[in-house]
Amino acid sequence: MQRPVLRSPAAFAQEALKPERGVINQMMTANSFADPATEAEYVSRLSLCDVSFLQRFGCKGPTAAEWLSAQGLPVPEQANHYVQQGELRVLRLGNSEFLIEEEAGSEQLAQLNQTDVPERVHAVLRNDAAFVISGPLVSELFAQVCDIDVIAELEDESRLVMTMMAGVSVTMLRQKSAEGWQYRVWCDGTLGVYLWQTLLTIIQELGGGPVGANHYFKSN
Amino acid sequence: MTLRIAEKKGEWINRDMPLTFTYEGQTVEAFEGDTMSSALWAAGIKVLGRSFKYHRARGVLSFANHDVNALMTDGVDTNIRADVIPVSHGMELFAVNTEGGVVKDKNRFIDRLSPFLPVGFYYKTFFKPRMMFPFWENKIRKAAGLGKVNFDYPRQLRPKRNAHCDVLIIGAGPSGLSAALTAANHGKQVILVDENRYAGGSLGYDHAADSSTSDKLETLLKQVSEHSNIRLICDAYAGGYYGDHLVPVVGKEGITKVRARSVIVATGAFEQPPVFRNNDLPGVMLGSAAQRLVHRYAVKPFHRGVVVTGNDHGYRTALDLIAGGVEVLALVDMRQQSGDEQLAAAVASKGITIHLASCIYEVIPSSDKLGVAEVVLAGYDEQTASARLEHSSRIACDGVAMSAGWAPAAALLYQAGTKMRYDYAVEQFVPAQLPEGVFAAGKVNGVYDLALRLRDGQRAAADAVRYLGGQDVEQIEVTQSFQLAPSHAYPIVHHPDGKNFVDFDEDIQVKDFINAAKEGFDNIELMKRFTTVGMGPSQGKHSNMNAIRILARIRQLPVEQIGTTTARPFFHPTPLAHLGGRGFHPHRLTAMHEWHVNHGGVMMEAGAWMRPAWYQPQGAKLTAQQAVQQEAMAVRNAAGMIDGSTLGKIEVFGQDAGAFLERFYTGKFADLQFGSSRVALLLDEAGVMVDDGVAARLAEDKFYVSTNSSNAATVYREMQRNLQLWGMSVTLVNLTGAMAAMTLAGPASGSILTELTELDLFEEAFPQGAIRTAEVAGVQARIMRVAFVADLAFEIHVPSSSALHVWQKIMKTGQPFGLRPFGTDAQRLLRLEMGHHLISHDTDGLTNPFEAHAGGLLAMDKAFFTGQRSLQILAAKPVKKQLVKFVLDPGFSAELPKECNLVINAGQITGRVTSIAYSEYLNRVIGMAFVAPDQAANGQQFDIRTDDGLLVKARVVQGSFFKLSAQ
Repeated sequence: MQRPVLRSPAAFAQEALKPERGVINQMMTANSFADPATEAEYVSRLSLCDVSFLQRFGCKGPTAAEWLSAQGLPVPEQANHYVQQGELRVLRLGNSEFLIEEEAGSEQLAQLNQTDVPERVHAVLRNDAAFVISGPLVSELFAQVCDIDVIAELEDESRLVMTMMAGVSVTMLRQKSAEGWQYRVWCDGTLGVYLWQTLLTIIQELGGGPVGANHYFKSN
Repeated sequence: MTLRIAEKKGEWINRDMPLTFTYEGQTVEAFEGDTMSSALWAAGIKVLGRSFKYHRARGVLSFANHDVNALMTDGVDTNIRADVIPVSHGMELFAVNTEGGVVKDKNRFIDRLSPFLPVGFYYKTFFKPRMMFPFWENKIRKAAGLGKVNFDYPRQLRPKRNAHCDVLIIGAGPSGLSAALTAANHGKQVILVDENRYAGGSLGYDHAADSSTSDKLETLLKQVSEHSNIRLICDAYAGGYYGDHLVPVVGKEGITKVRARSVIVATGAFEQPPVFRNNDLPGVMLGSAAQRLVHRYAVKPFHRGVVVTGNDHGYRTALDLIAGGVEVLALVDMRQQSGDEQLAAAVASKGITIHLASCIYEVIPSSDKLGVAEVVLAGYDEQTASARLEHSSRIACDGVAMSAGWAPAAALLYQAGTKMRYDYAVEQFVPAQLPEGVFAAGKVNGVYDLALRLRDGQRAAADAVRYLGGQDVEQIEVTQSFQLAPSHAYPIVHHPDGKNFVDFDEDIQVKDFINAAKEGFDNIELMKRFTTVGMGPSQGKHSNMNAIRILARIRQLPVEQIGTTTARPFFHPTPLAHLGGRGFHPHRLTAMHEWHVNHGGVMMEAGAWMRPAWYQPQGAKLTAQQAVQQEAMAVRNAAGMIDGSTLGKIEVFGQDAGAFLERFYTGKFADLQFGSSRVALLLDEAGVMVDDGVAARLAEDKFYVSTNSSNAATVYREMQRNLQLWGMSVTLVNLTGAMAAMTLAGPASGSILTELTELDLFEEAFPQGAIRTAEVAGVQARIMRVAFVADLAFEIHVPSSSALHVWQKIMKTGQPFGLRPFGTDAQRLLRLEMGHHLISHDTDGLTNPFEAHAGGLLAMDKAFFTGQRSLQILAAKPVKKQLVKFVLDPGFSAELPKECNLVINAGQITGRVTSIAYSEYLNRVIGMAFVAPDQAANGQQFDIRTDDGLLVKARVVQGSFFKLSAQ
């Protein structure tokens, strides 16, 4: 039977924006919301991009760290830290819980997803809404949606934080890109529509806007 | 007539931007930057409002955000503080609380009735005859008060922001500025907040004609603005102090919640008025108000005036007035001697007569009672607080500047938990013991000399830096000595005719305090409530200290034994739009949300989720009741499907998984066969029913547990907590969001599902309670045979990302079978027909399993489960209530009882209805209710009292309604 085309957890919130869509990693994804110049302008102020389509693998258990190491993956030594190795990001969410995310175009996680996990390691089904927030006005956005000083908390580039954003539990980290700092945010997929709408409302008030996946990744 | 003077260095107006506005219909010219009050005063308009109670004319008093008798309306907003809110071109302003205009206010006659309207008069009059009280209440409310609420006020969305810093400094006067620089120079991130439009505090207006003060301010501001570690926020006030140094900073655009590692309170002090007859007339103002008018707005407070003082500040005021072009006719000092000899000499050198040990006995109003005509000077007896009229004289003038002392702006310190003490050296309350991480500097700390205030700011900052870990920072000492205190110990002048106002917000005179004490209200908290002192919009900033002094003298007690009233957040009136702000109300959507919306789903909030209550089929115009009955009938006669993704879904892994569930739930799970499930009833430690779900065994060390929709987070959290307490080898994964679920129910459900899966769904292979893993519509799914809404039903759990695909496939496949979606309303009816109770709906926070016929779910022979010990105690006692199923008579057509209607027995309440509904399938009204144990037998009748008081007969039945019908 043909595998179904998946929907981004935030897709419903994006309908009204009439994005140009395409399939990435088997997920129907908003590739662009406006012409490249407009989206670049948003990124130069404040932008929001839905990257829920990225492949992920989650696991949890007392021997999860050892098993991941045995699979040749870099494992952060401490909880609430992450390691980026090539196309893979390995996030250590707790002492025994991990999230691994892969950039579009890479297929390393496909192998991992097909590997049987051993005893005392449990594969964790993921349904994340994942966003990239970038632009120099992020501090103003975070000031409105986060109680903690996220930017200060993420000054150490290997750190990740689990906090509340607009009333929703999120995991966040910061990465440097050619366009400046990018903040990656993950939340439960059932809250994806809400978080997208809430963030975008404020981002638009601040003069920014949504950008499609094409801005960061070229879809097929 | 204009009182505008030549340009002053540092003035806050932009003379290049003239503008016009109207006040009470009169066109007024102003400059950009003028406040409403400064513009009107510059134009010679001195009646800025009417007082709250007696409707007396009032003008400028403090000019510091607390002139609550100068409140305006612009037709949209009301109670606009004219002393601080800038005027803009084209504004049309009116004073609030007047009838017929501020000058000819029809209610001004009330002033003449004032002897009959002392404080508390409304407690003692108008309550007889009782029926007349609403009439009088209406009259009083109309006559007294402030602006009228505009119910068409435009909705404003104000964002709430968060900010963080090492040191939050509240008040950007000299102490605050120097503290900011010191802390910033030690590498600390500083937020400096000031309620004024520009920083500087008294450095901007209290010059005593010395121009070097403004130079000093310029230097400090330059250093602050150039310092990268300092963020200066002006035009915003710190609204309160909350735990862990959380301070909401209220600006025009909303509230910023500042979370600081330490806080320095450099809020200064409020100038206090001396109390003498007619001290409220337009033209009589505080010395600092006069200074602000001169230096900030280049406006003369009056042409010819008198300064009355109880401290040295009056001398400084006099010098500033002279520098502003005012003819100062006399300086009246209530003290026996002046304090600062240099200041006294400077004043004297201007040819001004200084009257020591003197007071203003009264101000004589102009004939229209709208201003000052002259003042009566007299000797002053500090012991009796009375005037010695044998040496009285009169001076014709048009204004009075008055200074009696200061009250620390210590509300934030009180809120932080500071212990204050009364310091007789400065005659004010000062911090005695500050909470950890909170520091005070400047006038609020009892330090008044400018050089010392700058040093006190450095001292506080150094203390803060040390508190933050900078142990090498040197301690700074601040020592001061006074010849005379900066505040007068009792700046009151008694007058037989009264009108010597203590509280300008509420028109409270000295005699009102004396009368209150005579009536027994001689405790500060009682006096506050009886007289309403400090309860007006300025919250006693200019009256509480004098009130305390008066009460202390009445009771012959030292001031510190009187104490102060409680200062609660918010420190200053704050717009509701700010307090409301942008709210975050997260709601969760299932993977099928879009489908529900597109297919007529009437969405409702169900806890954190949005769920369809029922569906309006395309083109139909069904009522909710019709739709629900149709959906339920579809389940009974064909098939229906509900989105059950909101169910809590938790995986329990590990070698102790079975043992863990045995401890956590009431039933037995260690012996549960793979591929089967049991009801999982959760109790709290008191034995109260908390949740009931299903625990299914997927492998020796793996269970899949469901919970009620509203309890997922609670149960997961409780599992985590117990796991830590019990130290078991178990891993928990909350899949509530990652897995979607749908329940396909009804006689045709098996036939529909068979077309989409290879799983054998027939009874023998897939009995009630079984769980299997198989593909449904090409997606790997967990399928459970359940019987919550129908005898034949399948719960299909799939990854959320594929759920919409599966849902659509089933709906399409089921179309020929008559499959319909059904919502939560039909689900409630269906489960009621099946006879299943809902925890938290049919049970409450006290219900135990014995009361809800859930005894069969208890494995009391287990070694332990949560709530077991409480149940053992409860089991030995008779039950007090019993949850029963009931039916109403066939064909019942009277008023339908509602949920929570009471069960009545012999006039006594014995229970309540928990669920009730009409079932079209059964053609009967069915329900559940708590009743007394002796009413719970099968076939027994009981009465339900409806909202209209009717008693409706109900009959207890046992078993499933649905099955009873089938029989």
